[in-house]
Amino acid sequence: MTVVVPVGRLDFAASTAFQAEVERVLAAGGPGALLLDCAGLDYVSSAGLRVFLIAAKGCQRGGRVLALCALQPAVREVFDLSGFSRLFAIHPDRAAALAASGMA
Amino acid sequence: MIERRSSVSGEAAQLPTLSGFLRAFWSEAGLPAEGAWPFELALEEAFMNVVLHGSPGDRVAAVDVVLALDGDALTLTLSDDGPPFDPLGIPSPDTDAPLEARRPGGLGVHLVRRLMDQVGYARIAERNELRLRRRVTTAPPPA
Repeated sequence: MTVVVPVGRLDFAASTAFQAEVERVLAAGGPGALLLDCAGLDYVSSAGLRVFLIAAKGCQRGGRVLALCALQPAVREVFDLSGFSRLFAIHPDRAAALAASGMA
Repeated sequence: MIERRSSVSGEAAQLPTLSGFLRAFWSEAGLPAEGAWPFELALEEAFMNVVLHGSPGDRVAAVDVVLALDGDALTLTLSDDGPPFDPLGIPSPDTDAPLEARRPGGLGVHLVRRLMDQVGYARIAERNELRLRRRVTTAPPPA
């Protein structure tokens, strides 16, 4: 499993680096699951959502499992309003995400 | 009533300036920090729309942002001198669509519509004017 930890604010400026990191992990390939641990992420705009969508589509193409965990209230509400909460497996914390993937 | 204005050029590099302007307003008005993010998001989405649509060719739009707190309602007005463009005319994406059918785009304006209590667009004196209004909690929650 690969864990990516976006921290702080995923606004238009920050989403470029996040996209590069997600694309690096996707390009590395492999069958392992990808976990995006959002415990330290307190803001996401549509620019950040776009990168989550890239991750979801890339994992789907590669046959990889993608999971999210620890969404903070503002991020959770943006996911809910966008319909993104239904597109991802979202776990309350990292331990739950690892248990669900059989990696605990 | 507290009212503050910030004027920037319509370039992506100015987004941190506007985010800082909003945070400074929030502190000055004594508003609880947890209520800021819907306005941060609305400001980012509205401004980035002007950056993408309001500056054709080499021209750069001039953008004014006014924040006005009146009682428990905060109004964010963003105006620019770019060509006529109504962001509220952007259709909302189908938020029930499955992953295969999801495309990026349109989500920003959708979020602004859902997060704000009132949204309005007008073309006034050769400027686009987007007005966004939402009630804010003016007192911190009890400890």
